[in-house]
Amino acid sequence: MKEWIDSVLNHKRRQAFPLITHPGIELMGATVKSAVSDGRVQYEAIRAASETFHLSTCSSMMDLTVEAEAFGAKVNMPEDETPRVVGRLLKEMSDVEQLQVPALDQGRLPAYLLANQLCVSNIKERTLFSGCIGPFSLAGRLYDMSEIMVSIYTEPETILLLLSKCSAFLVDYCKAMKSTGTAGVIMAEPAAGLLSDEDCRLYSSDFVKQIVQEVQDDNFTVILHNCGNSGQCTQAMIESGANALHFGNAIDITEALSECPPHLIVMGNLDPVSLFKQSNPDQVKQSTLELLNRTKNYPNFVISSGCDLPPQTPLENIRAFLEAVEEFNRSI
Amino acid sequence: MKLELINKLFECVEFGKININSPYPPQMKGLPGADEITQEALVAGVNPDEILNRALIAAMNKVGEKFTEKKIFVPQMLLSAKAMNASMNHLKPYFADGSVKRKGVFIVGTVFGDLHDIGKNLLSMMVEGAGWEVIDLGIDVNTEAFVEKVKEYPDAVVGISALLTTTMVNIEPVIKAIKQASPATKVIVGGAPLTAAFAASIGADAYGKNPREGIIWLDLQSQKMNN
Ligand code: B12
Repeated sequence: MKEWIDSVLNHKRRQAFPLITHPGIELMGATVKSAVSDGRVQYEAIRAASETFHLSTCSSMMDLTVEAEAFGAKVNMPEDETPRVVGRLLKEMSDVEQLQVPALDQGRLPAYLLANQLCVSNIKERTLFSGCIGPFSLAGRLYDMSEIMVSIYTEPETILLLLSKCSAFLVDYCKAMKSTGTAGVIMAEPAAGLLSDEDCRLYSSDFVKQIVQEVQDDNFTVILHNCGNSGQCTQAMIESGANALHFGNAIDITEALSECPPHLIVMGNLDPVSLFKQSNPDQVKQSTLELLNRTKNYPNFVISSGCDLPPQTPLENIRAFLEAVEEFNRSI
Repeated sequence: MKLELINKLFECVEFGKININSPYPPQMKGLPGADEITQEALVAGVNPDEILNRALIAAMNKVGEKFTEKKIFVPQMLLSAKAMNASMNHLKPYFADGSVKRKGVFIVGTVFGDLHDIGKNLLSMMVEGAGWEVIDLGIDVNTEAFVEKVKEYPDAVVGISALLTTTMVNIEPVIKAIKQASPATKVIVGGAPLTAAFAASIGADAYGKNPREGIIWLDLQSQKMNN
C-alpha cells in the first residue's frame, strides 16, 4: 500500500508493528482453536489487540496450516496451541500430478476471509494486513519438510510442479484477501530460510514473484516474512519483488538493511521468545531502544517482533516495547 | 584399489551422491553413488569396519564441519545423510552378526506437541553416521512411546528434541518417566530454544547445541558402557 509505505519512508518517526494475535486471543479470553476456526472470534481478537495497544497496524493470524488443510492435509487443532499438520499428504510425482488446486471454500479458508472482511469493516483508522503461508513452506507441509529439502535435488521436476500448484492457489487466495480491502499480506516463508541463496531463489522467490506480480500494486503490499534466514538468502528475498521484507531474530538486521535498497521496507527482528515472552519489561525496553538506535540511519526500517508472539507473552512486555518506540520517537 | 574405493565412497557421502540414478550432484551425474560403491567395496574385500570408519564416519564429520561453517545448508546435509544411509544398508548384515560393532543404541524423537523435525533428522542421521544404531521415534512423541522403547532397549541412550518454548517444558515429564522406568538410562536434549542450564534444570544428563556436541558426549557414554 503506497500510502503506508510512503508514511514509513517519509517520516523519521518509527512505526511499531508487533505480530500480536495470540495476546489478542488471550485478551478476549478465547482459545487458539476458536480463533483459527471462527472468523468472528479471530476478528475480535485482532480488534482487542489493536485497541488495547493503540496500534496503527495489525495483521491476521499466522496460521501455517489453513492452506495445507485446504489442499487436503489432515490438521489437528489443540485448544490452546497453534494447529498442526498431521502426516504427509504427498509422496511422489503421481500424487503431485493428481493434486487439485483447491477452491476458496475449502476448510477454514472462508473463516479467514471473513476475519479479514470484519477487520476491514470494523477496525477503522488502522492499516490491516492479511496473512498467508509462502509457496515453499506450503509445499513442505504437503510433501514433508525434510523430504522436500532433499527432493529439490533428487526430483526437481516434482517439486517445481508442486510449487506451481501452491503458487497458483496462493494467487487466488491473496486476490480474495485483497478484495476484502486489506492493505496487503504478510506471507510467511520460514522454511525457505534453511536454503542457500540460490535455492531460495529457485524454490521460493521465483514463485513468490509470480504472486507478487498478480496482486501487488499501490493498494496492496506483499510483506515477505522469512524468520529462517540467518543472512545467507537476503538477496533472494529481495528478488521476490515484495515491497517489504520481514526478518526474524536469526539475522543481523543492520546487515540486512545494508543489503536492501532504500525503497524497500525492512521489518524485524526482536526475539519473540527470549525477549518478548521470557524477559521483563526493562529488558524489553532496553533491547527495543538498542535496536532503534542501531537502525536509526535507515528510514525504511519498521520495528517488529521477529515472528508471531507466542501464546502467554506478558502484556506488560508488549507495553514496554511500545513505550520504548514512543520514547525513541519523542527523542528525534 | 581398496583405498580408492574408500576415497570414492567418502566423496559420495561428502557431496550427497546417493546412487547411480540420483541426478545430484550434477558433476557426478550418471556415476555410481554410495549405494553401488559400497557393494563394490564389499565384493572387493574391503573390511566393513573400514567402510564405516574411514569413509562414512569420516565423511559425515566433514559434512558437519561444513554445515557449521555455513558452507552447506540443510538440503546438502540431508543428501549426505541419505548417501550415508544407502551405504549403511549394506553394512547391516555385519552389524547383525556382530562382525562390525556399533557404539550403542540411540533412541531419538521430537517431544510431544512439537512437529519440528529437520534438526532432529539431521541429528539422527549424524549419530548413525558416527557409528550408532538409531531408533527414530519421529515427531510429537509422547512419554509412553519413549518409555516403551527404553524398556525394549535398556542399554540405549535417549535424545529428545524441542524447537518451541511451549514444548520444551514437555521434556521434563518424559525424562522423569524414563528415569523411573530405567534409572541408569542417560538422556541428552537439544533444539534451538534450549540451553545447558535449562537441560540441567529438567534433569537431563546432557545438552547438545548441535549434533557434533551430541556425538562427542554420546561417544563418551559408549566408552563408559564398554569399559
Ligand atoms: C522450519 C520451521 C518450521 C517448519 C517446521 C518443519 C519441520 N518439519 O521441521 C514449519 C513451517 C512447519 C514450522 C511451524 C511452526 N513453527 Co517453526 N520454525 C522453523 C524455522 C524457520 C527453522 C527450524 C529448523 O528446522 N532449523 C534448522 C535445524 C537444522 O535447526 P534446529 O532444529 O535448531 O536443530 C539443530 C540444533 O538445535 C540441534 N538439535 C536439535 N534437536 C536436538 C536434539 C539433541 C538431543 C541434540 C544433541 C541436538 C539437537 O541439531 C540441529 C542441527 O544443528 C525456525 C526459525 C529458526 N530460525 O530457527 C522456526 C521456529 C522454530 N518456529 C517457531 C514457531 C512459533 C512455529 C509455529 C508455532 C508457528 C505457527 N504460528 O504455527 C509452528 C509450530 C508447529 C508445531 N506444533 O510444531 C518459532 C519457535 C519459537 C519458540 N521458541 O517457541 C521459531 C524459532 C520461529 C521464531 N523466530 O519465532 N516451523
